[in-house]
Amino acid sequence: MDIVRPGGELATRPLHFIWVADCSTSMRNNGKMDALNTAIRDAIPHMIRVAEENPNADVMVRAISFASGANWHVEEPVHIDEFRWNDLQAHGVTDMGKAFHLLKDALKMPPMTDRALPPVLVLITDGQPTDDYSDGLKELLKQPWGRKAVRLGIGIGRSANERVLKEFIDNDDIKVLQADNAEELVEYIKWVSTVVLKAASSPASQTEEAVSPTSNVVIPEIPDDFWDDMDVSVEDVW
Amino acid sequence: MAYKLRRGQVVRSHTGKSYVVKEFLGSGGQGEVYKAHANGADYAVKWYFPQSATENQLELIKKLIAIGPPTDKFLWPLELLSDSRIKGFGYSMKLRDRNYRGIVDLMKRKMEPSFYTLTVSAIQMVDSFEKLHRKGLCYRDISFGNVFMNEKLGDILICDNDNVTSEKHADKSILGTPRFMAPEIVRGDGLPNVQSDLFSLSVLLFYMFMVHHPLEGRQEASIKCFDLPAMKKLYGTHPVFIFDPINSTNRPVVGVHDNALVFWDLYPQSFKDAFTKSFTKGLAKYKGARLSEAEWKEHLIALKNSIVKCQCGAENFYDISYMRAGKSKTCWACKKLLEIPPRIKIGQDIVILNDHTRIFKHHVDSNRSINFKHIVGQVVRNPQQRDQIGLRNYSDTPWKAKLKTGREVSISRGSTVGLDRVDEINFGNSVVGFVRS
Repeated sequence: MDIVRPGGELATRPLHFIWVADCSTSMRNNGKMDALNTAIRDAIPHMIRVAEENPNADVMVRAISFASGANWHVEEPVHIDEFRWNDLQAHGVTDMGKAFHLLKDALKMPPMTDRALPPVLVLITDGQPTDDYSDGLKELLKQPWGRKAVRLGIGIGRSANERVLKEFIDNDDIKVLQADNAEELVEYIKWVSTVVLKAASSPASQTEEAVSPTSNVVIPEIPDDFWDDMDVSVEDVW
Repeated sequence: MAYKLRRGQVVRSHTGKSYVVKEFLGSGGQGEVYKAHANGADYAVKWYFPQSATENQLELIKKLIAIGPPTDKFLWPLELLSDSRIKGFGYSMKLRDRNYRGIVDLMKRKMEPSFYTLTVSAIQMVDSFEKLHRKGLCYRDISFGNVFMNEKLGDILICDNDNVTSEKHADKSILGTPRFMAPEIVRGDGLPNVQSDLFSLSVLLFYMFMVHHPLEGRQEASIKCFDLPAMKKLYGTHPVFIFDPINSTNRPVVGVHDNALVFWDLYPQSFKDAFTKSFTKGLAKYKGARLSEAEWKEHLIALKNSIVKCQCGAENFYDISYMRAGKSKTCWACKKLLEIPPRIKIGQDIVILNDHTRIFKHHVDSNRSINFKHIVGQVVRNPQQRDQIGLRNYSDTPWKAKLKTGREVSISRGSTVGLDRVDEINFGNSVVGFVRS
């Protein structure tokens, strides 16, 4: 394409999106690990579409896995267009606190830049922390980027500790997303990858709430009929 | 979170027309849009999410259908749709042609129209919103997402018209899109109206011509986390124009806001003054503080008229204030001195006559009616002597041309008068153009 006008693209800010995934042994049960891998992989095209529609943000993705210890599954921020998901494997206990420490280190300045959009941190777990999570969480929330981040929690199954997820979210307006089966997990992951990503990167048309917001990013509520259309009809491919 | 409508599903209008859903096109804050087929033609169908399918919205759509679109540039609700097996309601509208692309593509430089085409789009956009406002309606949510343009022709389409309300009808349901909302709306001191539409329109124009936001300068660069509190400060409680001639505290920062610095210097002073007024006085909401659509149209027509094609092919802008000061201008692309082609002064307009420049009806019509298909004349090259250019009459009215020799000749449709030998052209109705080279 010929350049017929000078200048470059609209100035953007990075938006760091970090998956924090539980890989404890219990994630093997009932296909939870497979469902999580599939759901995140399937969410990538949706995230690319949201990023394409938004000229103000550069969406950069990373991932942490925690089990017996915590590791960067994807350590360097990868632009969403180039992001690929390699399957996580379940093994060990639930060292969530160690994951919070990794997050805290990543959100310090540096390595965080002094110019970004609110990061989005998505914690997905099916159980109870087996280490002292509260110290790591406290440290994470002490970081300005940790406090400013949109923190979301997805609990898989009834054994997920809702109280810990609530502490992580630390915002009464944002509810824990409770997924009781693989389909629900897929839908919640799709929701955080699209609706939440959009809200944090470039808020859409605003209602009265935005003029007197109770938090730094207004996350739309999950609609009442979120699950209404999940029943399968005969003409669907199933 | 599954799709609200399925492929093959039928939804019906109140007149009994059946729309068969073909494919999902996209979703927004209020609902989803599908391609559908009815009576041998394709349409777009918007279906509301339950939380947006309110009685208020239903009444709004009914009213909009009854009022009808201000011009054919609006993808306006055509028919109300419902179905007993699906909750809520929707409406049909014309399908957007795929040659039309969003302003987001312009911001990401995925679409690269010429300055001329961009200006044509801007004129059409301002003219369309003027016609909407003249109907006593208010758009309430002018932003990147709602205007689409044809990269080659400059034609525009305005989408998402389902939040348009009467100017008198105070409505809280949609306040606008952050970055485009007028300061008083951001602060919570008012509800959207025509005055706030005018502010949003100025922001969109600034984005189109500068690929930057008019209030994002040093203040924005000093903010680490760009969230709602930051936006409220920047666009609501402490807005400062980046080129405010008096308050220099919010200038663009080199390396961060380069587009603003690159583009600002290209445009004529009068065009820059229009933005300066919009984002200094226009930060207040009193009537007259913001530029009206008619004023914007004049500035944009003047901008289109001032385009000078450099020999390298790049478009530049003739600035009368430069000429009056005896200053010369260099081309932004090749950095060589710009050669100014012949120009014609018709009323207040000074039109630069580049090869292929067109004289439109709005140049010779005091009503300024905008129709880029209505060409009155065009600059053409003499096929025998390629260095000679002339103005060819494409109108049905014969022109009277006064030559430099003093002789008067009639230029009928299809005939051309050489620009090097003409002083004045009478286009009819006492509209006279004075040629200068």
